Amino acid sequence: MIHGLLQLLLFQALGEVISAFIIPFIPGPVVGLVLLLAFLGWRGRVPPSMELVGGGILQHLGLLFVPASVGVVMFWPLLKENALAVSAALLLSVVATIFVTALVLKRLAPPAAQDEHAP
Amino acid sequence: MRPELPPIHEIWVYLAGSPLFALVLTLGAYALGLAVYERTQRNPLANPVLIAVVLVAAGLVLAGMPYQRYFEGAQFVHFLLGTATVSLAIPIYKGWASVKGRLGALTLAMAAGGVTSIVVAVGVLKALGADEALVRGMWAKSVTAPIAMGIAERVQASPTLTAIFAVSTGVLGAVLGRFVLNAAGVTAWWQRGFALGVAAHGIGTSRAFSVHPVAGAYASLGMGLHGVVSAVLLPVVLMQLG
Repeated sequence: MIHGLLQLLLFQALGEVISAFIIPFIPGPVVGLVLLLAFLGWRGRVPPSMELVGGGILQHLGLLFVPASVGVVMFWPLLKENALAVSAALLLSVVATIFVTALVLKRLAPPAAQDEHAP
Repeated sequence: MRPELPPIHEIWVYLAGSPLFALVLTLGAYALGLAVYERTQRNPLANPVLIAVVLVAAGLVLAGMPYQRYFEGAQFVHFLLGTATVSLAIPIYKGWASVKGRLGALTLAMAAGGVTSIVVAVGVLKALGADEALVRGMWAKSVTAPIAMGIAERVQASPTLTAIFAVSTGVLGAVLGRFVLNAAGVTAWWQRGFALGVAAHGIGTSRAFSVHPVAGAYASLGMGLHGVVSAVLLPVVLMQLG
């Protein structure tokens, strides 16, 4: 487990350094993600301890959003003033995004017979 | 002889000054949110993140603690977002084998979805005359929150506002996804999952996993691809627009 955590943190640190000094417009963790992807492709498998740690973190991804989202208390007056516009924008945008993505995918890659389907 | 306990307000001052209060509040609220989610048979409306945010915000108001103080403690949880972003490489890598032949279609669908997300959100906000700060925060909101916040910092938007929009988007997508996909007549699990991952990132992905494993795997892929591509392209696009 320690190995997995160490590897993930190392890729994160490497990503941060590259982002800070070479490609400042891409966030460090994204650089780390791409580097880790390349590493996994080169290794040909996911090390079990990394799978354990990474899987655990991703399973509770939601928890990690909480501290930043609580910032909603700071923006409450601004959000309240624009409540209708914000709700409409969020709602219409996500519905349209799901609809367009799914339809384009269906049109471009008709599902094969062996694919599993929703009832 | 029993040592005399200090008065309660001294204990409180001590606790409030350490990261413990913020950490316990955050984890406790999330644990409660998870319990409610499980108890309601994973009803998407009982989203654990949503519940946790409401509870923590209420707790801060009750305790009279400013957000900045809370965040000083909660930043240990917040820090892991970066590690989580790096970890996204794992599901992307594992999904790769089954994806190869479909990569072109998936990329185009993701691009169409990503553009739709921004155009509709920013368009509606502008049409309804919302504040400019809100419009900036909307740009990266369909991207998974850790990446979205990194992008927000680079395009002079508030990371907090972007995180709020990203989480709201995730919850809405998780709740409405099923109906939208049925209306679109898309039934294959991999296509349903991918659309949910692109539109509603992490929260949509955990929803997809709880419905079907194939949907979950493709949702991770959709979330990861969308995040990486947006992180590279959005700052460039916004720079061009000024």
